[in-house]
Amino acid sequence: MDAQTFAGLIARAGDKAYNFAYRLSGNEQDARDLVQESFMRALEHSGSYDPTRPFDSWLLRILHNVFLDGMRRHSHSRTVSLDAPAPVEDSGWADLLPEDEISSSDELVRRESLDILQKALERVPPLFKSAVVLCDIEGLSYEEIARVTDVPVGTVRSRIHQGRVLLRRAYETLEKSGGRVS
Amino acid sequence: MNDHIEGADISAFLDGALSSAERARADAHLTACDACRRELDSLRHFKLVVASAPRRTLPADLALSLERRCVGPQPRWTILTNPRLWIPMGAVAASALAFSVWARTAAPADELPLEPLLAAHERYSAEALVPQSHLVASSYTDQVTTLYADGSANGEE
Repeated sequence: MDAQTFAGLIARAGDKAYNFAYRLSGNEQDARDLVQESFMRALEHSGSYDPTRPFDSWLLRILHNVFLDGMRRHSHSRTVSLDAPAPVEDSGWADLLPEDEISSSDELVRRESLDILQKALERVPPLFKSAVVLCDIEGLSYEEIARVTDVPVGTVRSRIHQGRVLLRRAYETLEKSGGRVS
Repeated sequence: MNDHIEGADISAFLDGALSSAERARADAHLTACDACRRELDSLRHFKLVVASAPRRTLPADLALSLERRCVGPQPRWTILTNPRLWIPMGAVAASALAFSVWARTAAPADELPLEPLLAAHERYSAEALVPQSHLVASSYTDQVTTLYADGSANGEE
């Protein structure tokens, strides 16, 4: 694949990759870095791309790996681990959230619904978050998500549900606190 | 009814990811179980909330930067083969050609030839500084001599 062709593919998949990166990272600068690093890796390994498969999925898989690599390298203040046990019961995940993020009285800020959603996404472990984002925001099928995240479809099914439950709980917690975040 | 649908199956039902047999079982259970139906409705509502997040598009400057890095620096000769540059390059070349033609052909009409003027000036200077007796004959000297000799220069008649 020549560089011009590759640039064309990137132009077509760029928006999807950037949106995915933004939802994973939660801010523009990290999303830009993620996308840039992903495209460079994709270009570097363009020889391993199978043209019979969707380019989008291949690129998102690279981006997902770049994201997880970054999470492993740098400790994230709001992340327990990439695959922390998913406490789907009421006594679980909320207990792991830092207290000051739930009921902070400093710098009270009223967030709109979408802001709360993005904040809630940041509170979900990366592997569950990526599954939910790929399914509900990017609209990928379970099979496509399995290819992107390199896990069996059964694992995808489990992660999507647990991710939704965690996200819903974080969202409702933030909503009840009036969108107050630290 | 205690035998509820597993949570992952409720999500898969919502996403249309169950097999036909699984879906038939889930349908039958949901018809009879309020708790599972409420959970399904809640997840459906929340899925819509998540899906409503506005899509972010690749910033133009980042897209341009990526494209340049992918394609790499262009050799100079490829710039000349870029059709988008043909029109402005042609316009510049035509302008340069037109200017050079105009510069060669459009000399001012009242411009005097320089060489004859210089020659006349030198001749006049020589005749004014050299004593009259040493002057060689010239048509100009003859005219001056004739003029002063007959007094016409002073208005004498």
